[in-house]
Amino acid sequence: MKYGMHLFPELNVGGLTIDISSFIAITVSVIITFVLARLAVRNLSVDNPSRMQNFLEWVVDFVHNTIASTMPLSKVKPYINLGMTLIMFIFISNLLGLPFGIVTETHSVNETLGITQADLDKHGGHVEIAWWKSPTADLAVTAGLALIVFGLVHFLGLKLNRKHYFKHYFEPYPIFFPLNIIEELAKPLTLALRLYANIFAGEILIATILMLGWVGTPFLIAWQGFSLFVGAIQAFLFTILTMVYISKTTVHEEH
Amino acid sequence: MSLHWESTVYAIIAFGILYWLLSKYAFGPLLSIMEKRRLLVLEQMDSAEASRKQAAQQLEEQKLALQQARKEAYDIIEQAKLTSVKQADEIVQAAKSEANRVKENAVQDITSEKNKAIAALRSEVSGMSVQIASKIIEKQIDEKSQEQLVDQYLKEVGSK
Repeated sequence: MKYGMHLFPELNVGGLTIDISSFIAITVSVIITFVLARLAVRNLSVDNPSRMQNFLEWVVDFVHNTIASTMPLSKVKPYINLGMTLIMFIFISNLLGLPFGIVTETHSVNETLGITQADLDKHGGHVEIAWWKSPTADLAVTAGLALIVFGLVHFLGLKLNRKHYFKHYFEPYPIFFPLNIIEELAKPLTLALRLYANIFAGEILIATILMLGWVGTPFLIAWQGFSLFVGAIQAFLFTILTMVYISKTTVHEEH
Repeated sequence: MSLHWESTVYAIIAFGILYWLLSKYAFGPLLSIMEKRRLLVLEQMDSAEASRKQAAQQLEEQKLALQQARKEAYDIIEQAKLTSVKQADEIVQAAKSEANRVKENAVQDITSEKNKAIAALRSEVSGMSVQIASKIIEKQIDEKSQEQLVDQYLKEVGSK
């Protein structure tokens, strides 16, 4: 039985197909992120910051440096907020599927959860339903994040740098216009796919190792450690790329 | 594995809400604290610079005051020296003049006493010699020639 053969419960409400595991994962990630951030800023202090506050300030400085270290803190505040939210939310999302999974087994057709007779037939009479995963292991979710970045970058480009924004499609020569369009489209696509592929692959490997039984425990530990690393790297990459795109559109360099 | 656009929409909405919540309740306060700290550090650096300048100025003032005091002390010592030398000179001078005066008085006294003694002696000697001469010679000589004679003798004797 392969991980990919796990079915994700789907709820059909008024023509909408709701992927319950994704919704649960997103909601839990949001809640954990918010609670952690709240805990970190519980006892803010100017001259005696707590360890969590120090860490969060380090993240702020880091994000600030990646976007525009020359701009004052007050001016880039919305971008810093965005970068901080992105890096925290994606990192926590990436880790969400690591520690455990919730899998239920069913032998009957359940139309509300999207279990059809065809599914049952395909898997030999019983299907396993996975309720728990990383939200970022779902391409739909990473696409949502990438769309936010895509929309924001182009909105900011149009709002703050209109002349330069239109001009850059025809640079260095007008003949490059199609290439520039492809580049702009490739940006969100790669953002979404990179994040999704890394995390999804990690979860598939965890499921595969689990099939080894107790023999796989050391591999599982090693891979979970590595997944932690990958999750951090991917969160970092997504954020830094977002910041680079934003700073490229908002900071106009004179030539 | 199927894609559901509902998940995408939900992800966007959830992220938007998270962004708003974090901006308002977590990062907003954090950033304002960081800004406050930045201002605090600036202010402290300013005040440190100001107090450093003040200290340097005070040091300069202290140095000047010390120099002034030293100069005054030197002047006082110099003046004291001068005064003492002058006073000593005066005292010595006074002593000298007093001594001179005493000496001169003494000399005058001695001279006058001597003269007095000489005069007295002379008159006595002349009287005595007259008596002696008149007794020895027993001869009448007029007063005038006798006195001339005696004086002549006395001068001879006195010049010896």
